Amino acid sequence: MFRNNYDNDSVTFSPQGRIFQVEYAAEAVKQGSVVVGIASKTHVVLVAIKRNAEELSSYQKKLFPIDEHVAIAIAGLTSDARVLSNFMKQQCLGHRLTFGRSMPVRTLVEIIGSKAQINTQHYGKRPYGVGLLVAGVDDHGPHLFEFQPSGMTEEMVAFAIGARSQMARTYLEKNIDKFADCDREELIRHGLRALKESLVQDRELTIDNTSVGVSGVVKAEDGSSKVEPFQVYDQQDVTAWIESVADDKEGGAGTGETEAEGMEVDS
Amino acid sequence: MTSIGTGYDLANSIFSPDGRNFQVEYAVKAVENGGTSIGIRCKDGVVLAVEKLVTSKLLKPNANKRIATVDRHLGVVYSGMIPDGRHFIERARDEARAWRDTFKTPIATADLASRMGGYMQAYTLYQSVRPFGITAIVGGFDSAAETPVDGEVGNGPACGAGGKVAGKTHGGPFLYMIEPSGLYWGYYGAATGKGRQAAKAELEKLDLGGPGGPALTMEEAVKEAARILYVAHDDDKEFELEMTWISGADGPTKGAHHEVPKALREEAERLAKQAQEEKMEE
Repeated sequence: MFRNNYDNDSVTFSPQGRIFQVEYAAEAVKQGSVVVGIASKTHVVLVAIKRNAEELSSYQKKLFPIDEHVAIAIAGLTSDARVLSNFMKQQCLGHRLTFGRSMPVRTLVEIIGSKAQINTQHYGKRPYGVGLLVAGVDDHGPHLFEFQPSGMTEEMVAFAIGARSQMARTYLEKNIDKFADCDREELIRHGLRALKESLVQDRELTIDNTSVGVSGVVKAEDGSSKVEPFQVYDQQDVTAWIESVADDKEGGAGTGETEAEGMEVDS
Repeated sequence: MTSIGTGYDLANSIFSPDGRNFQVEYAVKAVENGGTSIGIRCKDGVVLAVEKLVTSKLLKPNANKRIATVDRHLGVVYSGMIPDGRHFIERARDEARAWRDTFKTPIATADLASRMGGYMQAYTLYQSVRPFGITAIVGGFDSAAETPVDGEVGNGPACGAGGKVAGKTHGGPFLYMIEPSGLYWGYYGAATGKGRQAAKAELEKLDLGGPGGPALTMEEAVKEAARILYVAHDDDKEFELEMTWISGADGPTKGAHHEVPKALREEAERLAKQAQEEKMEE
């Protein structure tokens, strides 16, 4: 049988200039359950589907707060994500200590990007087997970044990674023009609808398998803006949101649109 | 490729019997798949430009910059594996800062190219690493002003070793391109990435290497750069154009590396699209 000789380590280029080990690591991201992130002008949300190993076991955590103003959503190897999460927490704390203010989101993302890149260039190391959505708020407002095992980081308007995430991305692409002006609640509902697109046939969103995280900038009375610290919601705290997107039936994108428009008229 | 299956291409730093390092050649292939980057050395500065392919509709427009500032007067653009490029940039910044610490003066473009060429070359020497999957274009404007050194007494010798040569000037715009092998050359106009062939053909038509030095001004070069990237671009795909420039102290950027102002970039893009349409009609 044909054997690929170029995929044993991350220091070997294939004749086409590809590094298969890095591409395989990207496949590990697709094994994780789906996570969705969306940023508006004022808020950024992360929503995730949690998996349980068996009926009676607990659900795997998907959202990790990093600092007051940043959190990550993970898809892939959870243990790798924990290493990155710890590292990011340390970096954020260190930044607060030296500069007396929170770390800009892009700076944080670029640090883990270069950390991951090193793993793709040195023998004996392996790429991280996890993809992240990094959401946070800084002086320039809300941000959403995607991180890949290759060390590639890109700022997105909205994105989804993990199993069957293409369906969620299609929903996001369809609605991308609406996100900028969404308020906090609308943004969460868009996130949940995108998430629903990626569910397998007979599964649905429940308070057990759904996580929601939000952060944003709130305008105070005097015109100054304050950061709404990143907050993760689980269990009964997500009930209302799940119910609010429960009635859009199959082909949710269509019904979702009319409902979203209805919302705008209301406010 | 006859090399495949011989085993000489399975590890870095291995010579084949005819004296080639295949892993370095494969790294070049990674560059050849990346978006086109170009650099133009002009009369009054340097212009850098890159074609950023839009891989997803969900990317935030104009948020992901590809041309980096390494020191006040130095810009770097690259084609190939983007995380490798970011690593390269970080190292270049370290070099520029270390140079300032040691010599109390900004690093010359040629010196940065030399240091970074050496760094890239080191990644072709060991089996424990792989070469960089990028080709980088380094642009800079070395100041012609004499920069006094901290604690300097007097102006230094007027003649002899380290002395001043009457009528000799220094500084000006410089452009270098560094390949995965670590090889680098100075250029009048440089291009790399997927559309390099078409871009090179266009660069060669410009008056950059004449005996009187380059005739093109930066503003003209910005328009040419936009046009060239549109020519080199594969029509099916959407892309963003990013452009930066570096002038001397008396120019628009006052010796610093900056993004080309939005108005000028948009004008350059408009002209580029117009030129494309005119070509289509022919």
